[in-house]
Amino acid sequence: MSSIEFFDVRKSFGSVEALCGISFSVETGEIVALLGPNGAGKTTAIEILLGLRRADDGYVMLCGGSPRDAQARMQLGATPQETGFPDALTPREVTAFAAAHYANPLPIDEVFASFDLTDIADRRIGTLSGGQQRRVALALAFAGDPAVVVLDEPTTGLDVDSRRALWSRLRSQENRHRAVLFTTHYLEEANALADRVLVLDRGELTFDGTPRELRERFGARRVEYVGPNGRTVITTHDADEYVRELVHSGVPFQDLQVAAPSFEDAFLAVTGGSK
Amino acid sequence: MKVLTLLAVHARLMLAELLRAPGYVIPTVGFPAMFFTIFAMPYAHDTATADFELLSYVAFAIIGVTLFQFGVGIAAERGRPWDRYVRSLPAPPEVRFAARIVAALVFGIAAAGLVAIVARIFTPVDLNAAQWMLLAFYALLGGIPFVLFGITIGYWTSARAALPIANVCYLLLSFAGGLWLPPRMLPGVAATISPFLPTRQFAELLWSIAGNSNNALHALGWLGYYAAFFAVLASIGYHRDEQRRYA
Repeated sequence: MSSIEFFDVRKSFGSVEALCGISFSVETGEIVALLGPNGAGKTTAIEILLGLRRADDGYVMLCGGSPRDAQARMQLGATPQETGFPDALTPREVTAFAAAHYANPLPIDEVFASFDLTDIADRRIGTLSGGQQRRVALALAFAGDPAVVVLDEPTTGLDVDSRRALWSRLRSQENRHRAVLFTTHYLEEANALADRVLVLDRGELTFDGTPRELRERFGARRVEYVGPNGRTVITTHDADEYVRELVHSGVPFQDLQVAAPSFEDAFLAVTGGSK
Repeated sequence: MKVLTLLAVHARLMLAELLRAPGYVIPTVGFPAMFFTIFAMPYAHDTATADFELLSYVAFAIIGVTLFQFGVGIAAERGRPWDRYVRSLPAPPEVRFAARIVAALVFGIAAAGLVAIVARIFTPVDLNAAQWMLLAFYALLGGIPFVLFGITIGYWTSARAALPIANVCYLLLSFAGGLWLPPRMLPGVAATISPFLPTRQFAELLWSIAGNSNNALHALGWLGYYAAFFAVLASIGYHRDEQRRYA
């Protein structure tokens, strides 16, 4: 039995098809990234998985049960979207609240320690920084020690150090008895954290494979410089060769930058600008 | 058993949040007793007047709590990310609503209780134990149409509009319903529409306890009609919102 199973899931809003029949599964011990630009259907897929919405067709199973059933959701922990906490409450209050819904929650101090919240557990959430609030969101997802964890853009708003710390925490052995599904805009995050990556584009699952396979397909680079025609930005699979040619061509340029592309750029490079 | 535990957990969190919002606590809990002190106490020299004023201001307190807790509360919370998160937790959706009722009861008892305490100390009110019990029972029963009225406001108005709308309904209906001035002292239009208002009928129900109205059954009938009317509006609003957000 898979921890998460989507089978031919369809969902439309009026005439807009948000999910056009997607199928995938996530097994215990796996960390899977759900990657896609805004409007790709990530939110809809997550909402169905959390039991907030109903699929029009196909089915979603959560450890063998329906996510619409509260009993099945005992196996599920999720982060709140964005940083939508009641400002007046404290991390301790909301975490204890979440934990009270589960049969065998983790000790709350352990949860605070693992998300670096011990010192701020009794402050009002409204006074915390965006990054601190993201960590509270993660604490909520893990507080009940669920078999399936769903993280909605877990590291948005975190600085580089916290992001790295979180990745290593999520990849640690103690989480290997869970299935973790997270959404992200960042190719880098999918690479660093996931065992497997799903790419969702306009309601269709266009990729399901390892980060390595993804890198090969999305491994474009973005080259930017100011040349005779003003600022020039190109996306290429071989930045080294491009720069070599640029230098050899003798064209004057300045402010040369080579960067890993944003997801949108890579997407354009790979799909040939179909977006 | 598990459901009761969850209800306690949800109610505690909701109360903790509300208690830290002075903008909520002061108007709902403090205003009725404060208005009573300013506008009613100077006239409450004899028992009949004091009883009448006490019963009016208990109605005023209950209406305030129901319109704010259900109207403003629901409008502010529906669709906010936290509400969406709470729905994803393994609890039946009714728990959150039941918690709102518990919170309303707590605030209703506090607001009406404060009026009763002030009235007992500073005015010659004279209700016997049976009358106090009947007051508590009628206050709960007569509060039901206002709960449904509040839910209607909560689902038919935006978070921004709910507070002014609830406020205007609260103050105008309280005035025209005769909660501040006895009905015979109301000015023209207010006097004409007064008998048709739910606030007036709620007041009539409570006044009957001290014999200031012999229309308890009549008032209950009217309140029943209002309850049915707002139940329909609240239900349409609720299903419309559910359909849009969570279908």
